[in-house]
Amino acid sequence: MEINVRLEKQLAIVAITGSVDALTSGEVTNFLSQQIEEGKKRVIVDLSQVDFMSSAGLRAILTALKASRQQGGDLSLAGAQPGVEKILKMSGFTNILKAYVTVKEAIADLGA
Amino acid sequence: MNQKHQITRAAEYQSLATLRDFIEATCKGYPGVDDQVLYDLKLAVDEACTNIITHGYAGMNPGSIILAIDLSPQQVTMTITDFGQAFEPSETPMPNVEAGLEDRDTGGFGLFFIYQTMDEVDYECTEDGNHLTLIKRL
Repeated sequence: MEINVRLEKQLAIVAITGSVDALTSGEVTNFLSQQIEEGKKRVIVDLSQVDFMSSAGLRAILTALKASRQQGGDLSLAGAQPGVEKILKMSGFTNILKAYVTVKEAIADLGA
Repeated sequence: MNQKHQITRAAEYQSLATLRDFIEATCKGYPGVDDQVLYDLKLAVDEACTNIITHGYAGMNPGSIILAIDLSPQQVTMTITDFGQAFEPSETPMPNVEAGLEDRDTGGFGLFFIYQTMDEVDYECTEDGNHLTLIKRL
């Protein structure tokens, strides 16, 4: 798994590539919490290159979502592929955060 | 005709990707197994094995996990065997998926996903180990 961040229109776009499971989710949690601590509290997580995510990945997203909102920011998701999209829906995550079809769409809606 | 496949791996998080790859290699392209079914199979096994590694072998030397897959035209049967502490899936509380952010607990989704994606879940604890059987109909 790889994680990268870029800034665009005052948004931190965190792109994850690979699988997010119990082995790799800790890295996601740490990376996202570091961004938020650095003041990048408006986050878009780009899931377009994530081929697999388990409940461990959802836990990492939920932790970061709470942290960003506590700082007055927000965390949104973009580009989830069908399998990942299904677990987001099953778990009710799509009711508690914004999930966009593409990163481009997310930036257009949220960017400053 | 049924196809049977089996893999044994150490009960550690590093094995999760190997087990998912084994499911993909075994089941992809089998009649009735589309991308969504394949994801469901990988998700259910990943969650079950994560529970075994985190809870089943907690406080013990890591043992092994055996994953057996039986493919038939009607269904995929996956049996996961471990030798850790037993747990009863039906006694584990399910998460509230309707909860708002403030009331959300960060755990509990693993077993929920197993029940949501599989058509049958059966657990048996014997002298030969704990056997979790997961059935997905095609």
